[in-house]
Amino acid sequence: MTGDRPTTELAAAEEAGGLKSKGLAAGKVGTFSGAILGISCVAPGYTLTASIGLIVAAVGLKMPAIFIAGFVPMFLTAYAYRELNSRAPDCGASFTWSTKAFGPYIGWMCGWGMVIATIIVLSNLAAIAVEFFYLFIGRVVNNPNIAELANNTVINIATTLVFIALATMIASRGITTSERVQYVLVGFQMIVLLAFAVTALVKVGLGDAPAGLRFDLEWFNPFTGLALGAFVIGVTGSIFAFWGWDTCLTLGEESKDPTRTPGRAGLLCVVSILLTYLLVAVAVMMYAGVGAEGLGLGNEENAENVFGALATPVLGGWVGQLLFLAVLASAAASLQTTFLPAARAMLAMGAYGAFPAKFASINPRFLVPTFATIVAGVVTAAFYIVVSLLSEAVLLDTIAALGIMISWYYGITAFACVWYFRRELFTSAHNAVFKFLFPLLGGIILAAVFVISIRESMNPANASGGAIGGIGLVFYLGFGVLGFGAVLMMVMRFTRPDYFLGRTLARDVSTSAGAHALEPTQS
Amino acid sequence: MRLLVGYLATPSGEDGLDLGIRLARTVGAQLDIVIVLPPDRVLPGMVPIGGYEEILSEQADVWLARAAARVPEGITTTTHVCFNESFAQGLISEAQRLEAELIVVGAAGDGLVGRHTIGSVTGELLHSSTVPLALAPRGLRDSTVEQVREVTLAIGTGPGDGLALDTSVLASRAAGTSLRLVSLVALDPIFDSMRGGDDSIRDRAHTHAKLMLDAAKAVLPEEFPVTSTITDGATIEDAVNKLEWHDGDMIVVGSSRLAPPRRLFLGSTAAKMLRVLEVPMIVIPRPDIDSDTAEPDAQEGGSQP
Repeated sequence: MTGDRPTTELAAAEEAGGLKSKGLAAGKVGTFSGAILGISCVAPGYTLTASIGLIVAAVGLKMPAIFIAGFVPMFLTAYAYRELNSRAPDCGASFTWSTKAFGPYIGWMCGWGMVIATIIVLSNLAAIAVEFFYLFIGRVVNNPNIAELANNTVINIATTLVFIALATMIASRGITTSERVQYVLVGFQMIVLLAFAVTALVKVGLGDAPAGLRFDLEWFNPFTGLALGAFVIGVTGSIFAFWGWDTCLTLGEESKDPTRTPGRAGLLCVVSILLTYLLVAVAVMMYAGVGAEGLGLGNEENAENVFGALATPVLGGWVGQLLFLAVLASAAASLQTTFLPAARAMLAMGAYGAFPAKFASINPRFLVPTFATIVAGVVTAAFYIVVSLLSEAVLLDTIAALGIMISWYYGITAFACVWYFRRELFTSAHNAVFKFLFPLLGGIILAAVFVISIRESMNPANASGGAIGGIGLVFYLGFGVLGFGAVLMMVMRFTRPDYFLGRTLARDVSTSAGAHALEPTQS
Repeated sequence: MRLLVGYLATPSGEDGLDLGIRLARTVGAQLDIVIVLPPDRVLPGMVPIGGYEEILSEQADVWLARAAARVPEGITTTTHVCFNESFAQGLISEAQRLEAELIVVGAAGDGLVGRHTIGSVTGELLHSSTVPLALAPRGLRDSTVEQVREVTLAIGTGPGDGLALDTSVLASRAAGTSLRLVSLVALDPIFDSMRGGDDSIRDRAHTHAKLMLDAAKAVLPEEFPVTSTITDGATIEDAVNKLEWHDGDMIVVGSSRLAPPRRLFLGSTAAKMLRVLEVPMIVIPRPDIDSDTAEPDAQEGGSQP
């Protein structure tokens, strides 16, 4: 399995093998639907719910600036993904590319970061879905006690496990959400989020808001009034918020007009997401302020669930329900769609011998990697149980850990792009910008965030306050899990050395457009 | 002649493959073993991962190689992988592309629930195939019979179906045995006794069945060995179970009158038979409406095989 056969050879092989149409036929994805798909990757309703609390706790009124600060490295790194994906598309993505560029050890750790990131986000998605499930039910039957059920650790864990089990079962049978469902969900989320933001702003204008802050351009300036630690913690939350939108750049490969659509779809998608985030951020701040009292976003009771606290005051009971429903639907849909990449990341690592071979098995009936999917479900459940028992604010801590994990594997991927293409970086202006400059800058920023957050995450005060031996829980969830991965890697190195000796996936460098792939690769 | 086996590396996939082998050996056909894979729609997710189709088709090649190894020497076999959203549609278009004359699949579902019912792929094929469909019952893979033993043609209560008859004759000839014509009559005992007449209804049904059998026999080639039976029972399942079946037997039915021209459509009668039969069933699509002008509209409601 080399994954980088040139298209002509691949096409010839496909014809010989009787292959006909493959995947997304050309002409299926237009600018608008590409952007919609991109937006639904980010699941804005869920993402905002999960990240606003963490960001406000770290940086207060600088939230808009932090959203922009997180956007920049993710935007730059997205080009590394696009360039690598168009030259060497592969099921293993970051794992495969970083192995090709930097060899098996860095590649393995990058793949591990990708796998763990999906596990963490699955547990977080399930948790948010459960939270809003009870909020929504409680509101529908008008019984606040039901909404409180989500805070009961036993009921919370039990319900979350049920959600994870259902999503695992659906995914392991190869059932996927259709595009139309995604369109409806995205449309619904965006409308409700915009209605929420606009209503909040109108109430501020009418003097009807509890805080009623005046708009201040300083909120958008990241260079003043922020300690480095707070800045970095905020950026990890913001990096998470933009995780996934690069999908619409890679979607471009199959779109109607490959030379133009991806750029426009990607731009439309990223601009809508960025504007939505900024609008919602500004609206909630002006409406509620960042005080630690009452509805203030700094109130620890609201930090985990800003929409849960603000929906009813802003929108009123009936419309507020819709916001709960939008977040619930967003989280539940993402929970289900994210199992697929989680399983495929493990499948790819299994196929190249970096994980046990069982991970590469495909169910003959459902034609999906059922074993890897079930493992993803079990590990997610185990992870959630452990974190729930240790943490005082599971959602905050998991998002902080997720930001670290994303910085790790996106950062490595960005550098892998520069190194993999090292022989052709300056052959054209396009290459110099998109294969060198953008990925390099993105990688440097992500690396800086990663390094600084090692120290910051040790301080329990920077997240929920949960700690083991005085060291913050986030440190263990982020760096501890990476360290654990290093141990597993050494176990794999001595039990199944083929991958580590370069027998399954060799180091590689691009020579010129596609020509490198003609060289025989060891496989 | 080419027979197309719709294959999955599952128990019912093996059933279908073994039926394909049995039929190919009987009529001297070549086999095309086909796996249909779902195209990988780009699914929105936070971790974009593509390239799954390559992995899937490599795996499919492994499965197909194993399937081809199961085919005995002497039968020309080719394997194909194709991508289609629907397994059934993929098989139908492959059958058209390869000009295959029959699609062979395992009829049972593979899940715990579906083992005794028709699988979803079979269900879809029965509604849309333009070529005859051979359905292997669950467990056919355990049979040691090498060739078709005897062919049974189920005669409906409507006008005869030329294609079903031709297929049966061809298969019978290849198998070297006589053709068994059966007419199945369902008599609802409670309903009939409520109407008062018991024997008269039974007699009328038998007379009608006899007419149909004679009509079928009349168009058979001269001196073609044929036996004919009329069997009745409380239900069609009951009636079909009263017949004597041997391992290696096979039943041929035509499509329901509800079927659009040149499409399969399993009528309720045939569907009921499929649930109880332990022999393979071949369903023949309905011929063109032009060649079937004798059919009155009143027959639309009936769904005889």
